[in-house]
Amino acid sequence: MSLTKNRQIVFFCFLALLVFLAPACGSGPAPTDMTKKDQPTVEAETAEPKSAPKTTNSFKPRAVKAKLTASGASFPDPIYQKWIESYKGVAPDVAINYQPVGSGQGRKNFFGGSTDFGGTDKYASDEELETFGKDVFHIPTVLGAVVVTYNLPDLEKIQFSGETLANIFLGKITKWNASAIAKENPGVELPDEAITVVHRSDGSGTTSIFTNYLSSVSKDWQTKVGTGDSVEWPVGIGGEKNPGVAQAIKQTEGAIGYVELIYATANKLPTPAIKNAAGEYVEPNLASTSAAAEGFLKTMPADLRVNIINPPEGEKVYPIAGFTWILVTKEQTDKTKATALTDFLYWSLTEGTKDAEALGYAPLPETVREKALEKLTQIEVAGKPAFKLPK
Amino acid sequence: MITQASNYKQRKIVDQFMRGLMVGATILALIPLFLILGYVIFRGASSLSLAFFTEAYKAPQMSLTGDVQSAGGVLHGIVGSILIVGASLLFALPIGILAGVFLAEYPANSVATTVRFATDVLSAAPSIVVGVVAYILIVQRTKQFSGLAGSVALAVLMIPVITRTTEEILKLVPHTVREAAIALGTPKWKTTFTVVLPAATSGIVTGALLAFARATGETAPLLLTVLGNNNLGYSLLEPLAALPLLTYKYTEMPFPELNDLAWGTALVLTGLVLSVNLLARWATRSRLK
Repeated sequence: MSLTKNRQIVFFCFLALLVFLAPACGSGPAPTDMTKKDQPTVEAETAEPKSAPKTTNSFKPRAVKAKLTASGASFPDPIYQKWIESYKGVAPDVAINYQPVGSGQGRKNFFGGSTDFGGTDKYASDEELETFGKDVFHIPTVLGAVVVTYNLPDLEKIQFSGETLANIFLGKITKWNASAIAKENPGVELPDEAITVVHRSDGSGTTSIFTNYLSSVSKDWQTKVGTGDSVEWPVGIGGEKNPGVAQAIKQTEGAIGYVELIYATANKLPTPAIKNAAGEYVEPNLASTSAAAEGFLKTMPADLRVNIINPPEGEKVYPIAGFTWILVTKEQTDKTKATALTDFLYWSLTEGTKDAEALGYAPLPETVREKALEKLTQIEVAGKPAFKLPK
Repeated sequence: MITQASNYKQRKIVDQFMRGLMVGATILALIPLFLILGYVIFRGASSLSLAFFTEAYKAPQMSLTGDVQSAGGVLHGIVGSILIVGASLLFALPIGILAGVFLAEYPANSVATTVRFATDVLSAAPSIVVGVVAYILIVQRTKQFSGLAGSVALAVLMIPVITRTTEEILKLVPHTVREAAIALGTPKWKTTFTVVLPAATSGIVTGALLAFARATGETAPLLLTVLGNNNLGYSLLEPLAALPLLTYKYTEMPFPELNDLAWGTALVLTGLVLSVNLLARWATRSRLK
C-alpha cells in the first residue's frame, strides 16, 4: 500500500514540475521575426492614444517587436529603468532588460557579445576597443556628480577646497577643527572631533571620478595614491557600494566620504560646496553638474570619450562630475534590434530628459546631446543607416 | 545494599555542569536562527501586499523629495526562480539518483570510491566558482544570458546533495529485502528498480527537496548566468529574474524605500526555503516504517 502511495507522490512532484516548465519550453527563443513588421501602422496607431498625454513631440518609434538585453553601470540604473518603463507606453512591443551589474562587468558583457548594449561610467580604454576590433560608439546619456558628505549633527554648513579634501583623504588632516578647514569656513564653529574617512571597498566608477579629481588638485595625491576604480587608501574604513558608504557615514559621527549625488539626496545627507578651478565654492546640483560638461565642450573629442573632472574655467561649475555612457556597436547585425535600440536611445535623449531631471540626474548640455544624436544616425545595419533624425 | 560511590556528589555536580553547558550551547546555536527569522519578518512584513505577489517590477516613480508611488512586486522573481530551479531539478534528479544508486548498490570498487570523493569535493565547491564555470562554458559560448545556464549551474550544486542522500537512504533499506527478491530469481537491476528504490522513495524525495531548497537560495551562480530581468518572462532561453537576485539588487538602490523591498523579497525567499525544508521533514516522517 505505502509503495503505491509513494509512487503517487513522486508522480505528482514530476507533474507539478512539468506544469511549471511547459510555458517555458513553449515560448522558445525570442520572436524576432518580421511578421509583425507587415502590419506596423495598425499597431503604432493603437499604441499612440495611450501615450498621447505624455508626448507632445511627434516622435513615433517604428513599430518593431524586439527584446534587448543590456547590463552595466549601476549609477544610472534608476533612470534607465524609468526610461524603459515609460518607453513601453510609446512602443509596447519593445522589451528592454537593463541590469546594473557594474561598469566593469557591463563592458565585459558587451565586448563579449552577450548583451545588445552596455552601460559604463568609465569610457572604454583604447586597449579594450582595440581588442574588440569593431567600431564602438559611446553615447552619453546623463551626467552624475560625486559629492563629499559627512556626519556632524551640529554643523549647518561647510565647504572644502580640493587641496583640503586631498589632505583629509590622505590622512594629513585628522581633526574637524584643523586650521586648513577653519580657514575655508570663516564664521563656522567647527567641532573638536576626529575625522573618520569612509571610502568604497569595491571597484567603482565613483571612486574613479573622485580619485581623478583629487589627483587633479593635489600633486601629493597623484604621486602617493593615484587614480583608478579602486586604489590603496592611506586611511579610513571601506563601505560596499554607494549604499554601504552612505550607511557607514550615517552611523559614524565625524565621518566623511564620497557618494553619487543621488545617494546623498535620497538619504538626506549634506552635500557641501567644493571650490572649483575658478576659485568659487559651488554646491552640487543638476545645473552645476551640467555646467561641468560645458567647460569641456571645446575640447570634446569626436568619440565623446572625455573626463570632465575639475574644468579649468566657469564660475558656476561643480568640479567632481562625469558622464555615463551607453556602448553600442556601429555595425549592427540584427535589423529589428538596431531599429528598436536607436529609436529607444533617441526617445531617451529627447523626451526622456524630463524624467532624468525629476530623478536627480543632470541632463546633457545641448551641444553634447546633438553630438550624441548624431552618433545614432551613424549606426548601420548591413551598410545602411539604422536611424534617421526626424525632421 | 547499595552504597553510593564516595565521589557521588562530585560526579553529580560535574554532570549538572556539563548538562548546563550543552543546553547553553544549544540555545546559543538557535539564537542566530531566531534572530534572522525574526528580523526578516519584522523588516519584511511591511512590504508584503497583494501587489507584491501579483505584479512585476516597476521603475521608481518618484522624485527625490517625494515618496514611492508604486513599488511594484516580485512576481517576475517568483516565476523566474520556479522556472530556473525547476529545470535544474530536472537535470539533477536523474543524474543524482542514478549516481546514488550506483554508490549504494555497488559500493566496493575503485570507481565508486572516486565518485564518492568527487561528490564530496563538489558539494564543498564555492557556488560562485560553479557560476563562473557556467558563465565561461555556456554564456560566453552562446553569447546569451539565459535561465538555462543558471539551471545548469544550480544542477551542478544539487547533484552532490541528491547523490549522497540517495546513497544514504538506499543503505538503510534492509539487506534481507534484496535477498528476498534475489531468492525469487529477480535479476539485480530489477531488484534495484522495483524493490529497493520504491522502498526508499520518501527519502529520495527528501533529498530532492533539500537540494531544491539549497538551490533556491543561491545568488552567486545566478549573478553571472541568468543576469536578471525586470520584465516578466517565461522563457528559459532568455535572461530571467530570480528572488535572490532581486534581494541583492534592491539593497543597492539609492532609494531607502526600495531597500525596504529587499526585506520583502528576503522574507518571501526565507519562507519558501523554510516551507520546503518543513515539507521534507513531513515527507520523511514515515521513512521505512
